[in-house]
Amino acid sequence: MANICVFLCKCFGEIDNTIDFNFLRKELSKDTSVSSLSIVDSLCLETDIEKVAFQIKETHADKVLIAACSTLSRGNLPVDSLIKEGIERYKIGLVDIREGCAWIHGDDPEGAAKKAKDLINMGLAALRYREASEDMCVPVHPDALIIGAGPAGLAAAISLGKMGFKVNILERANAPGGMLRLISQLYPTGEDAANKLNPYIDEVENNPLITFYPQSKISSIEGYAGNFTVQFSSQGKDNSIQSGIIIIATGAKIFFPTGLYRYGEIGNVITQMELERQFLKGSFDAKTPVFIQCTGARNEERPYCSTICCPASLKNAMRLAEEEPGSEVFILHRGIMMPGNILEEYYRDALSRGIQFILFEEERPPRIVGDDHVEHVEVYDAVNGITRKIETDLVVLSTPLVPSLDNARLAQMLGIEVDRYGFFPESYPMHPLETKMDGVFICGSARWPVASDQAILQGKAAAMKAVSYLRQSEIAASTLSRVPGPKSGHARVVSDFCTGCGNCVAACLFDACHLEKTEGRYISKVDMMRCKACGNCVSVCPNGSIQIPEHNYHMVGEMIKRAF
Amino acid sequence: MRNPKDISPVLVVGGGVAGITASLDLADAGRMVHLVESTEHLGGQVSKLDKLYPTDHCAFCPLWTDVKKCMEHSLITVHTLSHVKELKKESGKYSAVILKNPRYIDEKKCVFCGRCVEECPVNAIHYGWEHLYPPSCFIDEPSCTKCGNCAEVCPAGAINMELKKEEINLLVSDVIWATGFKEADLRHLKEYGSGTHPDIMTSMEFENWTAEGGINKGKIVKRSDHSVPQNIAFIQCAGARDLRMIPSCSAVCCMHALKQAGWVKRRNRMIDCYIFYTDLRTVGRDYYRYSLSEFEGTKIKLIRGKPGLIHPLPGGDGIAVQFENTLTRKREIRKFDMVVLNGNIQPSLIQYRPGQDEKTAIPPMDKEGFFNTKSDETSNFACGFGLAPADVAESVIQASAAAMRVLNKESDQR
Repeated sequence: MANICVFLCKCFGEIDNTIDFNFLRKELSKDTSVSSLSIVDSLCLETDIEKVAFQIKETHADKVLIAACSTLSRGNLPVDSLIKEGIERYKIGLVDIREGCAWIHGDDPEGAAKKAKDLINMGLAALRYREASEDMCVPVHPDALIIGAGPAGLAAAISLGKMGFKVNILERANAPGGMLRLISQLYPTGEDAANKLNPYIDEVENNPLITFYPQSKISSIEGYAGNFTVQFSSQGKDNSIQSGIIIIATGAKIFFPTGLYRYGEIGNVITQMELERQFLKGSFDAKTPVFIQCTGARNEERPYCSTICCPASLKNAMRLAEEEPGSEVFILHRGIMMPGNILEEYYRDALSRGIQFILFEEERPPRIVGDDHVEHVEVYDAVNGITRKIETDLVVLSTPLVPSLDNARLAQMLGIEVDRYGFFPESYPMHPLETKMDGVFICGSARWPVASDQAILQGKAAAMKAVSYLRQSEIAASTLSRVPGPKSGHARVVSDFCTGCGNCVAACLFDACHLEKTEGRYISKVDMMRCKACGNCVSVCPNGSIQIPEHNYHMVGEMIKRAF
Repeated sequence: MRNPKDISPVLVVGGGVAGITASLDLADAGRMVHLVESTEHLGGQVSKLDKLYPTDHCAFCPLWTDVKKCMEHSLITVHTLSHVKELKKESGKYSAVILKNPRYIDEKKCVFCGRCVEECPVNAIHYGWEHLYPPSCFIDEPSCTKCGNCAEVCPAGAINMELKKEEINLLVSDVIWATGFKEADLRHLKEYGSGTHPDIMTSMEFENWTAEGGINKGKIVKRSDHSVPQNIAFIQCAGARDLRMIPSCSAVCCMHALKQAGWVKRRNRMIDCYIFYTDLRTVGRDYYRYSLSEFEGTKIKLIRGKPGLIHPLPGGDGIAVQFENTLTRKREIRKFDMVVLNGNIQPSLIQYRPGQDEKTAIPPMDKEGFFNTKSDETSNFACGFGLAPADVAESVIQASAAAMRVLNKESDQR
């Protein structure tokens, strides 16, 4: 039989002005599990906490129930103090009778008292049956693994390398640099892409802590935050490395607009990347180039804006205008996407240099006219309401960045997801580089199309997030709740009853459940380092053989029984 | 591992979402942090938001956990109601003087009962933002007469009127600027009619007015007579992309307006929402889809055109908006029940022009009030809206990156 010590906090009259504590005392004295009940002025006062701790020791109570305020307010204060006194967290119950009872039902003291009684009863039931999951800590492997050596991956690697962590970079191509190697200049500064990239490549080559694996292909990823094992092949050789964290910086792919605006069928219709390649070879001139934005983007198939095409078009348009004095440059767009102060200024700059912007509508796209070479472009100018015929010698199609097809495979290996477009989604806007798996971070265009300076920023930020994992010597089993409160524990399988139906494996959001063959039959096993105690497995288990000790069946059943 | 107390601390200016993130990142990496915030609580502008785009989650939960972590972290010292008075660079380090105004109410003791608020004869005490940690009342200093009534009624003994302003001298290795944005006053631009009618609001006012945790508990009503409006106009680029006021694009307002209009539709789909835009800039994940979303068969109506005149009609009969739809090239005057002005946000430090307020140390800025990206100290160690217009996700990324640069700088010098 549990021996529970109950403390009711008056909160300087905030609670007992509404709720009749004598009624509570009378009701609770019926419960045999309550060994003592005391009323204190305020558990926020240190003197009262000392009294409480003393009384717990005096009465040799097993468990403590505090009826005070909400955890969102000051409820954690007495709990934290009691933990400091050496009482285990699962043995302390906290019931909110201030915000949820006394304050909100101030006009109905009797009802509030009854509600408080029910809540405290439920708290008692919870305390009586609550058990604790075993604690688990594993040592953290202090190496970092970065997948992809574009600007984001390189920035992350260098940041971590400078901090003194060993970094492994896996790259599919032969050399580092990613998409930055394919373009000539960067907007809005006009800086050479190579100038930006070379210091990064030098640093990667010269820092002994950073190892670069070209031509690599990952075959499997296993483990959890603090201890991932990655099997891969690099230049034909199979290899395996351990790492504490994984940063995904795989970037995005270029979209080829086959069939759009007669691309591939007629000469002088090229994509933005092909124009960049021409610039890399040397200068390129055209008398009246026409840029067409949103080629294959912001449509039904790809309902997103790829962020970088508008500024990239402006950059190339201004360059063409500069190289060929007297030329006329047109940008046909569906709304110029240049957010922010720097890009807006860049846009004004382009306007002042005489670049002509023509707005067209999705329903009436421009038409390319010509036999084997483009002769003119017909476009309905939506602002002026006229159809314009632009004589041209070059059409440049701005195509969006699209996610790599490998993203889905990589996501499956890591136990994360891809979004509806195929990019890696963040767990939450306020934690934009973290995924639902602890220790797996995303940055750069693998997350969402971004320009190189943004990708570098994201790489550094992802490295920052990784540092908080890597510098710990050991890592405790993770839980879902970032909110301080009772530890949510981990799922546990009672193997005698488990039939190996696999429902829990299908329901687990974090790839923590799997079936294992023991003594000739399959039973479910839970990887504690991955389990976040969301409870999905518990709800689908047909015979209750998977349980979370902190929230077990007896406890929840008894709580519900007492509530109604 | 070295003791964090042996390394000079880092000063983070601004306790919004960027400042909080930078502080937590640095502290988790073992650096001491001093976080300076000018208002009475951490959270910044995000604490005034109801929902976050594009996921439509509440803004409050993740912010709350981060604020709580920040307040309780052993390596972070939070200075609320403070600002940086002086900042001098001396042999690679900064010596900073922080002017800390007294809180009078000890936030660690206050139980948020509100007796002082009721007792105050001049209404100088307010409930703090109830969602923030720790919840506490605060005294608005200019209107306080120091009568001491509040201290007498406070059951927790949290009020001490004897406190004085104090100056804190710090020697810090780096300064991270995360000062965020503020709303610009649109009354200079007469055509927007700002301040002439209670139903013409700025977007932050509208957010607060319609917030689920706010005054109206998520109901969409007019501010003038509390009746349900038939239609709402969201005016984009009000004051922004305008050389008379804010030349830059504020980057967040298109999505902000789409989010607000979406929530109006979700709460009451009978209200017609019109967004008057110049370019609908929806560049992030799911942002473009956001502009196409349908609400039980009704859509947000998008009109390309910037209104030329917004004027309240006589007799409280709504607000007239005169505009040209640039896609149909028709000039129209339409009557709206509510008008929300969007886009008038600018860096919060813009008011501190050099020489104007000598008491505040400021970093180098450009003429729009953004930190100068060409200067070493700000381009590397600034983040959030003060560096460039940025939404929550971007501010957080910039903050983490700034924190990383601080750590890398230390290893460069070693």
